Amino acid sequence: MSTLTIERPTATKAHDGSTSRLWGLMAEFKTPAAIFEAAGRVRDAGYRHWDCHVPFPVHGLDKQMGVKRTIIPVIVFFAGLTGCSVGFLLQAFTNGTGAEWSFWAIVWVTGYPFLISGKPLLSIPAFVPVMFELTILLSALTTAGVMLLFNGLPRWNHPLLAKKRFLRASDDRFFIVIEARDSRFIRSKTEDFLKSLGATHVEAVED
Amino acid sequence: MSGHDHHAAAPELPQSAIVDDGRIATFARAIFAAGVIALGVGLYVGWKQGDPNQFAKIYLVNFMFVLALALGALVFTMIQHLTKAGWSPAVRRVAEAHGANLRWLWVLALPIVWLWWNGRSHAEGHGPGLDLLWPWANLEHLAAHDPAEAELVAKKSAYLNPDFFMIRNLAYFAIWALLANFYFGRSVHQDSTGSEADTRSMRKWAGPAIILFGVTTTFAAFDWAMSLNPAWFSTMFGVYFFCVCCTIGFSAIAVTLLRLKHLGFLNGVVTAEHMHDIGKFIFAFGVVFWAYIAFSQYMLIWYGNIPEETTWFAARQVGAWAWVSAALLFGHFVIPFVFLISRWVKRWPTLLLIGGIWMLAFGWLDVWYLVVPVIPSDIGTFDTWNAFAAAHAGATTGLGNPAIYLMLFGMFAICIGSAAKRLARVGLTCRRDPRMAESIAFENF
Repeated sequence: MSTLTIERPTATKAHDGSTSRLWGLMAEFKTPAAIFEAAGRVRDAGYRHWDCHVPFPVHGLDKQMGVKRTIIPVIVFFAGLTGCSVGFLLQAFTNGTGAEWSFWAIVWVTGYPFLISGKPLLSIPAFVPVMFELTILLSALTTAGVMLLFNGLPRWNHPLLAKKRFLRASDDRFFIVIEARDSRFIRSKTEDFLKSLGATHVEAVED
Repeated sequence: MSGHDHHAAAPELPQSAIVDDGRIATFARAIFAAGVIALGVGLYVGWKQGDPNQFAKIYLVNFMFVLALALGALVFTMIQHLTKAGWSPAVRRVAEAHGANLRWLWVLALPIVWLWWNGRSHAEGHGPGLDLLWPWANLEHLAAHDPAEAELVAKKSAYLNPDFFMIRNLAYFAIWALLANFYFGRSVHQDSTGSEADTRSMRKWAGPAIILFGVTTTFAAFDWAMSLNPAWFSTMFGVYFFCVCCTIGFSAIAVTLLRLKHLGFLNGVVTAEHMHDIGKFIFAFGVVFWAYIAFSQYMLIWYGNIPEETTWFAARQVGAWAWVSAALLFGHFVIPFVFLISRWVKRWPTLLLIGGIWMLAFGWLDVWYLVVPVIPSDIGTFDTWNAFAAAHAGATTGLGNPAIYLMLFGMFAICIGSAAKRLARVGLTCRRDPRMAESIAFENF
């Protein structure tokens, strides 16, 4: 499920008469209840590459679509763990040792053991703030970055944006779009199927 | 769909889900009676042990534990109003009922009045004074005992003196009783009227109420726990005690709700979504924020390395106290952090119940850790930490004393019984809160 806001509807004249390729089928529904019902049947029909576009969050639509929970939290956990370890190793290396180290034989670095207020060189309490901050930094950046990546962003255009009718996805219409790359997609059958769900209008979307 | 008031008519909730069928009232009476008996036996056993100072500390720890429970529940209620929360009316009544114990919790603090009254006479033959616990209450005695400390403490006597201490205590309990009474009373009032004016009024006062709450808990923590070592100070101590309140209060709310649901109440009212959110509250305030504050306090003192500050931690890192410190690090932070971080754990009633009880136990241990250790008076005579640690390797925590657990069960059971009786009387949810429909339909994304 995603909510699209289209700000410049005129910016989407994509084709100059060249042959276009079928990208998917777009079915329009008039009410949240209709799309909710239809989404369940698309899910049961076994389609995988499809999506709903609605002007406002329809509660429970994710579950109805059979959207699985994201694995982003797991990725973020390991990103946080990495940040924490890097924070520790960085400080342990720079302040705790006099070791010398060369990266790719180009960058040469050395530890700089520095005695601060009589504390041991390897003082974990002093390292904690940096470990904490790096944990947060890597977790936050990973969350934002992976979220964008999983959403297929950034992208400059989308086949749906060429459809005038689709503009109402940000106003008062509800759309189910099944992509042509889906293994169950057969144009005529899928079109009939979408119509059988009570769609008020079905049209092809070209790439 | 959020961010706006919902003025839908309050949903008709099944009576069997939100009204006691007699079981809660029976439980309340039984647990209250058991609590009174256990507290009586605990007081007797403790007193007979012949160590009034330790006895007073055990009492103070358990008192601060039940107080923190009520304060945590109160601040939970106030946060909901302050943030105009739509998800929480279904669960708020339980928090209000725990918080409303602040109406009478001053009764358990009456021994302070007795100590203060004794201390005024300075005559032989009277019972112990406030200096039974708080050394600043008797500067002559402190001067004879530890002149260096007395000199420091004497400079604080404008604040740390028995009469002002009593006045402050009166103010704390008056403010807390007022706030708890307001938030419980108005909410119950709404059950009969269904009036939005009640919601508006509770929201309007939430800001000032939270400020009052913050100031009073901060100074109460300074007075009761921090001034046990009057030369020592930490500006983070107040917010540390706030974390203690959150840990204990939020965990108690979770455990209470889960037990009510287990008994078959609140079906279709309190869902996994609500428990998930309360789990988040415990995780955020009781686990992560607690660790953040505890570590911040520790690190600044460790880093500064000034003797008058480090002694407090030194006393908590020798002998058996080192194990309590480590137990808190792992039991109050590392283990519950890993345990409660997952979504499915917070949504699984049995696991959240385990988490809640675990945090209650470590919340209590945290109060014990704050109140009981004594800074050895010979601490200034050692040249190194190792010498000090070796000399005090035998320091004990006193946790084996059965009087502790009798009193703990006693006070805890009285508070639980009192809250349960309240719930049995007024119902288990804010049934006519204008956002009740929104709350029941609430879902986490």
